[in-house]
Amino acid sequence: MRRDLRLVLLLLLSAALESHSMSPPGKPVLLGCRSPEKETFTCWWEPGPDGGLPTTHRLYYERERLEGIHECPDYQSAGKNSCFFDKNHTSIWVDYFLTVVAFNDLANATSDPLKIDVMEIVKPDPPENVTLLVKDMEDSPHLHVGWQRPQNTDTESGWVTIKYKLRVKQENNKKWKEYMSGTQTHFSLYSVSPGVEYTVQVRCRLDHGFWSEWSNTSYVKIPDYLQDQRPFGILVSTLCVITFIATMCILVMKRKYLKKCFLPPVPGPKITGVDFTLLKSGPTEDVINALNQNFPLMVAWKDQMEDYLIVTENDIGLEPHPFISQKRKNSSTFSSFGFCFHPEIQSQDSRPSLNEQEEAGKRKHEIQHFVKSNKSLSGTSLSNVEKTQQCSHKQQGTIINFGITEATQQSRSHHDNTVEPLTDSGYVDIQRHEENTEEVDVKTLQYSRVKEMNSDNTLILEKENVSRPGYTDVQRQENTEGYSRVKEVEGDSMIIVQKQILSSDTYYKENGNNSTDCDLQMPRGLTGFSKVGVCAELDSGYVDTTPVTHLM
Amino acid sequence: MKKDLFAVLILVYLELSMRAGTSPVCPSGQAGCHVPSLADLFNRVIQQSSRVHGISSDLHSEFEQYFFPSKNFLGKRKCHTYGIMTPADKENAQRLGRDQLTEVILRLLGAWEDPLSQLYRSMSQDQNQDFNHYSSNKALEISDMVHELRDGVAKMAEKMKLLGVLGNYVGYTIPETLPPSSAFYFYEKGEVTSMDHHVLLYCFRRDSNKVKNYLRILKCTTLPALDC
Repeated sequence: MRRDLRLVLLLLLSAALESHSMSPPGKPVLLGCRSPEKETFTCWWEPGPDGGLPTTHRLYYERERLEGIHECPDYQSAGKNSCFFDKNHTSIWVDYFLTVVAFNDLANATSDPLKIDVMEIVKPDPPENVTLLVKDMEDSPHLHVGWQRPQNTDTESGWVTIKYKLRVKQENNKKWKEYMSGTQTHFSLYSVSPGVEYTVQVRCRLDHGFWSEWSNTSYVKIPDYLQDQRPFGILVSTLCVITFIATMCILVMKRKYLKKCFLPPVPGPKITGVDFTLLKSGPTEDVINALNQNFPLMVAWKDQMEDYLIVTENDIGLEPHPFISQKRKNSSTFSSFGFCFHPEIQSQDSRPSLNEQEEAGKRKHEIQHFVKSNKSLSGTSLSNVEKTQQCSHKQQGTIINFGITEATQQSRSHHDNTVEPLTDSGYVDIQRHEENTEEVDVKTLQYSRVKEMNSDNTLILEKENVSRPGYTDVQRQENTEGYSRVKEVEGDSMIIVQKQILSSDTYYKENGNNSTDCDLQMPRGLTGFSKVGVCAELDSGYVDTTPVTHLM
Repeated sequence: MKKDLFAVLILVYLELSMRAGTSPVCPSGQAGCHVPSLADLFNRVIQQSSRVHGISSDLHSEFEQYFFPSKNFLGKRKCHTYGIMTPADKENAQRLGRDQLTEVILRLLGAWEDPLSQLYRSMSQDQNQDFNHYSSNKALEISDMVHELRDGVAKMAEKMKLLGVLGNYVGYTIPETLPPSSAFYFYEKGEVTSMDHHVLLYCFRRDSNKVKNYLRILKCTTLPALDC
């Protein structure tokens, strides 16, 4: 029993002892210090375990440029376990060495020292009175945030410079957006959406110190502006759609008209006087005549060169004029022609008379035609002059001597050439005669001399000045369609005949040695023109209308 | 050839005319010469001092992280500018007056030109550590900026004297207590170690902050403006 009692007593003692144990206090810990405006500062510490005894804490400090150890001037102002240094006890840019000592009855405990410089511990209070205003300028709302600087800071003397920063958050978003405000105490937010609630906070710092805590949250809701504008917008958009649809309908309906208006048909080419629709069926006479209307021009041009044929009555026969023959020999560009003209040669002027004569058939006319030819032929020789043909009298026995006058540039040369009597047709076209082309120059072309006249009213022409060898024999010429127009009649026996561009059948360029039979036939009853049957060699059908020396 | 010469001449002329980053203060207020106002001078000087303080803070914190991770480094050393009496709080600074405040500023800045260049030299010579190589450029930068700042403050003082705001004898006192090489002599006799660098940086950071603050007080005392 005694042993149990002792045990119980021991236990009780130990319990009592434990509850009333005293130990030295635990070591306090200095938490830190802070200056809100760079004029005062506060330090806080954490007391250690008190060891069961009432412990007191004291803060001691040493300071640069200050002798001795000093104790905290104010333990109460800043709360428990704190020390507040007022302005008198605060110096900037000097080091403070702080320690806190915990005292109890048994012992004391000293904390670790803390060195501070007030310059480094500046942390201001948050800005005050944050106000939010929704300002509506020109239908675009923006948020105006305003605040005030912390009360205890002194910016007027320039002792501190405060810089601000704010952050904004939308109600449904968790992310904050920060904006720097510099030293201004207001800020405008333009990117706000109507109908959304915004949360705004502001904080500040002094110079390069620590940032303050965020201010109290402020809420604002942007009123919804679009409600007023929505019906207007709907109205405008519907009007536009209607207008657009109407325009499209009109365009579609009138597309043909529009096509005509904007894309007019391009007119095709047109030649005056010719209707192309007619040509579709093939060329007609009218067309040909129209095309041949150029001929008068040529004729007019050729009018300048008048070929005069000297037609003389010749019973004897043709005798070459010595002069001419000589001349012909010498001249290089000479063309001589011989013609036998039928007295039926008529001129436009004296048509009836000639006709009468022709009909009479027994007249002897002496027609002198002066043939004047502008020389363009080169190297023509009229050696054929010598080979004048005998213009045989045919029907009327009239022999007309053709004298070819060759005109050099300035001189005239009259050459008489006896020619055979012609038939009634007075052709200008000359057929080449081989025999007469002794000295014929090759280049001379398209000249034929009327060789003789048939009783059939055909004219046999002989070609002169044809330099081509291989001239065909004289051939009968029966039909010709060539025309020569008598320009005027001079005197009794002179007819000036105009050269004319014959029809395509009459003039041919002689190129080869082709020989064709030409039948020249004098159509009777021809009025107005004297026709000379001319047989020309047919070549390739080329009608040479060069007025070199055309004979009629 | 002539064209090249002409072009070169033009380029040289443009170069010279646009060289000045800050417009030079006209000596006698000639016409056509842009004379900055006192407010402009104050603003420039304050900005420069703020920049200087920023760089010095960065440099010091980097140094501390690199070499002395312990934050509670207690070095009971004194800065070489210990001898210059500077106001330690707002009231004292305001009580000092413009003349003396300007004087203090000039003295402080004058006391740091040499040590900073020495710091740069010793840091760049220490080739063992990368940090020193990296920081030596900053040291050089700070040294140049302090030099410019001192010139700017001097010009500002001249301007204030012209305006009659400042006494005529400001700036002529020679800091007799500081021989040129006093900085390192003060700290260490013999080799300059990185400890010395650290102390120097610490001291300079503090002094640059003082200068910045004093200038602001000076400005708001002289020209009460919107941002005061």
